[in-house]
This record gives sequence, structure tokens and C-alpha cells, in this order.
Amino acid sequence: MNRTRLLAPIAGLVVFFSAWEALVRAFDIRPFVLAKPSRIVRYLAQFPDDYLRASLTTMRHATLGFAVAIVVALMVGAVMAASSFLEQATQPVLTLIAVTPFAAYIGSVKIGLGAFSEKPVIFIVALVSLPAFTFAAADGMRGADPSSRELLASVDASAWEVMWHLRLPSALPSLFTAAKYNTGLALVVAYLAERGTGGLGEIGARAFANNEGDRLWAAILSMAILGTISLVLLNLLQRAVMGWHASQRTQRS
Amino acid sequence: MPTAVTLRGLRKSFGNLETISGIDLEIAEGTFVSVIGPSGCGKSTLLRVVAGLETASSGDALVYGEPAIAARRRKQVAIVPQHPGLLPWRTVRANARLLLDINTKANGSTTTDPIELLERVGLTAFLDAHPHELSGGMQQRVALVRALALGAPLLAMDEPLAALDEITRSEMRVMLNQLVEGRGVTTIFVTHSISEAVALSDRVLVTSPRPARIVADIAIGLGRPRPDDVDDDPQFFELCSRVRHALQEGAR
Repeated sequence: MNRTRLLAPIAGLVVFFSAWEALVRAFDIRPFVLAKPSRIVRYLAQFPDDYLRASLTTMRHATLGFAVAIVVALMVGAVMAASSFLEQATQPVLTLIAVTPFAAYIGSVKIGLGAFSEKPVIFIVALVSLPAFTFAAADGMRGADPSSRELLASVDASAWEVMWHLRLPSALPSLFTAAKYNTGLALVVAYLAERGTGGLGEIGARAFANNEGDRLWAAILSMAILGTISLVLLNLLQRAVMGWHASQRTQRS
Repeated sequence: MPTAVTLRGLRKSFGNLETISGIDLEIAEGTFVSVIGPSGCGKSTLLRVVAGLETASSGDALVYGEPAIAARRRKQVAIVPQHPGLLPWRTVRANARLLLDINTKANGSTTTDPIELLERVGLTAFLDAHPHELSGGMQQRVALVRALALGAPLLAMDEPLAALDEITRSEMRVMLNQLVEGRGVTTIFVTHSISEAVALSDRVLVTSPRPARIVADIAIGLGRPRPDDVDDDPQFFELCSRVRHALQEGAR
């Protein structure tokens, strides 16, 4: 990585946090409304273990939900790519899931699956991530090169062989795009569903209830760091898995 | 010599559109047969029926005595499409063995090591390269190796050199002759190029405009092994001229 590519994002973040600090100081904003970055960092430094543990819990919830969503999306996507009737039958269900505000049914799901259990958190993360993953999987699989499909048909490839050798790799670019979109969403869903189960969401909910501004903003900043790390990891994974794809080879001048 | 391909009263229609009209043909084992005809006449459809990728509307298409579709399923037909169709995520080495990795129970005893073939076509230095790192000619060489590695007795090629520049086409033509000659493989080669058809083939079948029927069957007596400079042979020009006239006659 050249120096400019490393320095540019650092410079952007320094400007952002400096502006934030200056804004809070200039308007004397209460910490509960918006804490200064320096104050948040000081607070995080006092309780590093608590926030690290909570971050790992939130990461686990989001990752497990993600994994469940991807597995289900690949199965449903394969069915959608294979049959236009089933695609038309599935689309409205996925659209309903996508447009229904998850925050409205979190409570009901938690009561149904166990208020202090991780299950409802993972379930809701998976449910909310499912539509984007499924549409991406179906589009990618359907877009597999027709001449390659025919080539595999010429040696009587089974449906599984076509899936493994052609459709799945063809769906990777759109699946990674969906994963990037879903990363932030999954973390937000996990945060909002975590009350009573540990994780940054629980810290945030308690801090909000107790009017603890520093604690609340420390949880929010931890979420932001978690999201950034997740996206960096996702980009590294994409580069490792999809080095053959034009998107991973093209460098902007 | 045994018959590799038999077509009897072969017709093919797509809805009301008739693309092949009553073709009867026998191709002897080990011969290289080119099919040449006007654009859109149905010669690629003919190849697809022989390769078992399309069913005939009526008539028979037999490969070594069995229906073409059954032969394809048993990996008795290797296809080289117009576009190489290499999978971009697989290396050259992995692309070359793609057809061997699929439906493995149908692999016969005549399969050839794709690495050995890649060496023969001069791609040893590119075994771990991905398709985007290769030129068009190199990609087509990998597609050819992928088909030959199957060891199928019938090779069906659909304008495989059409997208290449003239110099690469000429090199590929020589390479194709060297690879196919002496292997006992029967080849059906669809092309638009008269010189390509004459330089490569033992027989050239000229088809009419759609619906395709065979209007001329020209034996190419240029001998085997075919010399690399066959296109300097006066007989080559004479044969090209015969094919051209047959095409013109067929179009009337």
C-alpha cells in the first residue's frame, strides 16, 4: 500500500474528530447529547476489558446471524435462479421482510425465543440480512455465463456440479456487495436486540436508561470501530477470494 | 474405416423456423470435416445436434452408432465453443482440467494429462495464470486443451478461431493440425473461413442458406501430415476456389 493510500483515510478521520471536538466545545453540548471524542477515549481507557468483551459479543451475534443468512440465502437463491415461478413466489416474502421495520418486532421475537438468550438476536440479524443476500445470490447465480453453462452441460454436469463450479463463483461479486451493505445493518440490528444478552447493545441501552452520556458514547464509538474493522476484514477477504475479478484488479489513477 | 457420425433425414426447427432441412451424412472415423456456409444458415445448429446439445426435430443423429445425446452424456463428444468460455476464477491448469473434474465417472481410459497438452501448446509458463492474464489466442489454446484432455473420439468445434487476429489464426491452424493429427479423433469444424476449412480438413461440407442442407461435399486431398506451409500449395488455391464457387452456387 503506498503512503498516500494510508495517509488519506487517517487525514480524513483526524479532520472529522477534530471538527467534532471543536463543535462540542464551541457550543458546550451536554455529554449525553454528544460527548467530546477526547472524553469518550478517556472513558474507554478506564474500562477497556468491558468494552472489548462486549464488542466481541456483538461481533459474535452479528457474525452468526450473517452466517445463517448466507446459508439460507444460497439455498433460496439457488431455487430462485432455477425457477422463475418460485422466484416470483419468493420475491414478495423477501420484500416484506426487507421493508418491515425490524425495531418494531424485536420485542416480540425476544419474548418468543427467550428474552435473555442469544437466539433472538441471531435470528433477527439473520432475518434482516436475508433479503439482500438472497437477491444477490439469485442474481449472481442467474448471471452465470451461458456458454460456460452449456460447456458444463456438454459433459452432463449434475445440478450440484453446476452450482459448485459455476453458479456459486459467479455469485461471489454480488454476494460481497450485499455483505458490505449488510455489515452495518447486522451490527445495528445486533445492537438494538442485545438488551439482556450482553454486548455493546446492552451497555448502550443501560447507559441510555441511566442518563450516562460517557458510557453511551463509548458504546457508540465501539460500534463504529467494530463496523470499520468488519468492513476492512470483509475487503481483505474479498481480495483473497476474488483476486481474479476486475473489481479487485482495477486501480484508480 | 468405421463410421463416427451418421445423420439420417436430419431436420431441426425452432417453432416455425426451419434451420436444418433433411441432411443425410456419414463421417468416417479419424477424419477432419469442416462445415462452411453463409451466416445464420444453421451450421452451428447442425454442430449442436451432432454434439448432442440439441435434439433433432426429426431424423437421427448418431455418434458411433448411439444417439448423439447419449454419446455426449458418456463424454464421447468434446466441444470447443466460439468463445473460450474459461472460468475466470480458475487458473490455466484448473481450466484445462475442468471437464475432467465434472461427471468423473464418465471419464474414459483415453483421457490425456492436460499439463502435457498445455506444454505442447506452449503454455507451460502460464499454468498458474488466470484467464485475464492471457491473450485471446492463448485462451483459445486452453479451450482446445480442455476439450482434447477428455480423450473423446469426436471433437466438435464451433468457429473457435473466429475471434482471433489473422496472425494468431494462422498459428492456431498449424497447432490444431499438429494436435489433432495422429490422435484418431474425428473432428467437425464449423467455420466462415474458406482457407481455414481447406487447410485443416479432409472434407469440406458446403451448406445452403437457411434452412441448411449440404450443397457440396468436397474432398481435400492435401495429404497427411499436412505441411505448415500448405497454403502455398497451388492445389490449396484450386480447392479454395472450388469451395468458394460451391458457396456461390449454394446461395442461388
